[in-house]
Amino acid sequence: MKVVLAVFAAILAVASAAEECYTDVVETCNNPSLKQEGVLTKCDAQYGGIVSAESDLQKLANSLIHRSFDFLLMATHYGNYIKNRPGFEKLFRGLSDDLWEDGIESVKYITSRGGQMNFKNVHESLAADAGSLELYELHSMSKALDIEKSLAKQVFDLHKETANHRVDHYDPEIGHHLEEKFMGKQKETIRKLAGHAKDLGNLLNEERDPSLALYLFDQYLQK
Amino acid sequence: MKSVAVFVVLCLGFVNANLKCEHKIPDIPQAWIDMDNSCTNVVRDHVLEELKAALQYLAMGAHFSRDQINRPGFANLFFKAASEEREHAIKLIHYLLMRGQLTSGVTGLINNYKLAPNVTVWTSGSSALKDALNLEASVTSKIRELIKVCEAAPAFNDYHLVDYLTGDFLTEQYEGQRDLAGKLSTLEKMTGQHGELGEFLFDKELL
Repeated sequence: MKVVLAVFAAILAVASAAEECYTDVVETCNNPSLKQEGVLTKCDAQYGGIVSAESDLQKLANSLIHRSFDFLLMATHYGNYIKNRPGFEKLFRGLSDDLWEDGIESVKYITSRGGQMNFKNVHESLAADAGSLELYELHSMSKALDIEKSLAKQVFDLHKETANHRVDHYDPEIGHHLEEKFMGKQKETIRKLAGHAKDLGNLLNEERDPSLALYLFDQYLQK
Repeated sequence: MKSVAVFVVLCLGFVNANLKCEHKIPDIPQAWIDMDNSCTNVVRDHVLEELKAALQYLAMGAHFSRDQINRPGFANLFFKAASEEREHAIKLIHYLLMRGQLTSGVTGLINNYKLAPNVTVWTSGSSALKDALNLEASVTSKIRELIKVCEAAPAFNDYHLVDYLTGDFLTEQYEGQRDLAGKLSTLEKMTGQHGELGEFLFDKELL
């Protein structure tokens, strides 16, 4: 009996949620004072877990934008005449461009689910990481790998939140978005950078001065 | 004595087996690097200004993308403008690199915490276009200030940079401003009598 009641209550809840906009329209159109204001407040695009995920989605978008600038600075460092490594410059500039585009797409995504962007809502990991970005080759490759992994972790954490089966958190559509737009791409980038770091580590683990190895590796990165 | 020698050899061997993470810094003549510091500094600062403008446009795009605002044409216009402003910043960085600058202090070039836009809500498409036009006008006037600083350095009038800023950057500023002013004018006329309908129709033109 209890179960039947619960199911009945759930059906009622779903039905009323589904009719919120219509109810709002009917109420507003039938009430002269509301009609005068002319504002419908319940006709929005929000459903599922967007309200509880919104803040983390904002943080992710801000991380992507912030990190795109970090990579831009790393590319800049490799573009100066002393470093003069066009291959490294190209690699980091590519990472910067990707994150910038992802940042914009993330802002669009938040609004597509009825949310709003907040550019001041920054993830804790960013404030803690304020070191120099003018690094030697192997250092910069490891830094790039760590940055990409931290972004992947942010995506995983968010995915976990939206897989939470509490009614106001569960949102497979956000999960799907994260899987489709981020996970495959991040896997490729992380694998590529890890391979570069491993290769560089091996090449520099010789008795000779590393300059020629670095030159050849840079030539390889330009391709 | 022998054991000391062996120890030294072992130590050398140990050092040699280590990763060589650093390479030597070459000694390059400096005479070709002729930008004046005062000029370099204002150009560096302007990189941040362009990125601030990028984030301000991003905020406009975010606002007009909202379900409760629903002006995809305006959003499209502003998202594109954001990427263009970022391109301007990158063009300036490339220019500085070409002139032998940015060999140090690169990390401090962009301060992420100074970039977050302050205004993130607009009452209408027309108010955002007005803000955009004013933003462009302020960037234009900052570029003019750059030009003044870079040609006024007592020891070095930077003809080349001034030509680049005048020819490339100012041209783009003036063309962009004319475009925004034209759009705003059309929108104002369309919304004068028809309000919401005018903005709705104009938005679709921007898609």
